[in-house]
Amino acid sequence: MISKQPYWNPVLETMPQEKLRALQLKKFKSIFAWAYENSKFHRSLYDKAGVTPSDIRTFEDIRHVPKVEKSMMRDIQRKDPFPYGDALCIPLEEVSNFRQTSGTTGQPVYQADSWQDWEWWAECWSFILWAQGYRPSDRVFIPFGYNIFVAFWAGHYAAEKIGCEVVPGGVLDTQARILKIQELRATAMMGTPTYILGMADVARSKLGIAPETLGIKRITCAGEPGASIPATKKRLQDAWNAKVFDHAGATEIGAWSFECVDQPGGLHVNQAMFLVEIEDVETGEIIEEPGRRGKMVITALDRMAMPCVRFDAKDVIEWDANPCSCGRTFRLIKGGVVGRVDDITKVKGVLLSPVAIEEVVRGIKGLSDEYEVVVDKQGDSESIKLKVEAMPGNESRVKELQAELKDQLRLKTNLGYDIEFHDYGSLPRYEVKAKRFKDLRKKA
Amino acid sequence: MTTQVDIEKLDEKIQQLKQAALELSEMGNQFPAVKRNTARVLASIKMMEMNVSDVARLATP
Repeated sequence: MISKQPYWNPVLETMPQEKLRALQLKKFKSIFAWAYENSKFHRSLYDKAGVTPSDIRTFEDIRHVPKVEKSMMRDIQRKDPFPYGDALCIPLEEVSNFRQTSGTTGQPVYQADSWQDWEWWAECWSFILWAQGYRPSDRVFIPFGYNIFVAFWAGHYAAEKIGCEVVPGGVLDTQARILKIQELRATAMMGTPTYILGMADVARSKLGIAPETLGIKRITCAGEPGASIPATKKRLQDAWNAKVFDHAGATEIGAWSFECVDQPGGLHVNQAMFLVEIEDVETGEIIEEPGRRGKMVITALDRMAMPCVRFDAKDVIEWDANPCSCGRTFRLIKGGVVGRVDDITKVKGVLLSPVAIEEVVRGIKGLSDEYEVVVDKQGDSESIKLKVEAMPGNESRVKELQAELKDQLRLKTNLGYDIEFHDYGSLPRYEVKAKRFKDLRKKA
Repeated sequence: MTTQVDIEKLDEKIQQLKQAALELSEMGNQFPAVKRNTARVLASIKMMEMNVSDVARLATP
């Protein structure tokens, strides 16, 4: 029975690292030559750096290829070929799909895909879903507002491709989505950790339905790092009585990593389709060994319409020292994407990653899933305010919860916070990417 | 689970399929339903090349 096969591709996913590396090098040469020959933007970038396709013979040579920053992509768009600008490598009439980035970090970036690229997106997601135990017997509910953001579109097509039955939850509101899951006995779903937690809350508070009784067996999360943050993952799994898996991807990159059914505390990099390099933020040195964090520089090895070659993704990751018990040889990144270079900021002279705050808040029973962090500066004095909510029935425990929060935050982040308790349900709820960290110093 | 796969044989069949699709595409130049469906078939074949042929041909330049 093919459903018992643990790997989407039993050859690539178990290939020795030396062979995977050889495949990556061969594919990199090919995509680099393609970008050089077909995109004015890439050619100009590489000519200025004095690097041509014939220069690429080893991984060391790859490190001389200039990185592409998101800001460069913003600069070239809205010009001919409209609206993508001259990073486009195919005739405009061969573009089949438009998507754009969410704009979390600035002006959204437009992304063109050919039909082949769109098949490729679904193929990348097929590796993910198969590794997470999705099989043709699954009925997959997708509670996502199908729109200009790539989000779960490719998850939808991949689920179809691997043989699942797909229920698009499109324009339904949250309550209608929950009722549809119940009515159809869906077995799996996909969403951002924030939204999946929010759905559980709505099921309980508005519909009187215990989400853990709905029969969802597996949930794929993306868009935020939550499903790799142990406290958030536990909340998600407990709420739905389901296995919750993380996946990291991006509009300009593709679906490059996934957690497998063994839940090893990290994400496999799909090394057959992506080359991930980790760069030391200070020195620019490439980090090969486990245990050292750096920022990700990534190449999508088969994406053609708008190639992604050495893209400076700014995700903070580190290699895991251990192989995964699932038998895949694809390398693991420990703890998933642990932050973004842009998000890690100094407050009162201490480096702070918002992910560490989430780990603390979601780890305390009696607090709701929502929180907000506001960093501000008055004169020379910096402050961090943390807004939280007590769960209904915990109002009398506010002092106790506050003390626990203060202790845990001091321990995990080495900083003191002004903690504000808000009424349950009064902090903003998010459907897509949450914006819980506000740095008012930047506005000043 | 150990899987025995004859990657060269799979690649051979994929190349036959690709050849047939390319010929169909050429024949469909005045036949949109053939031309556009073949374009999709070729994209699917490319996915099989990524999964199989790229490995089978790893040693070739």
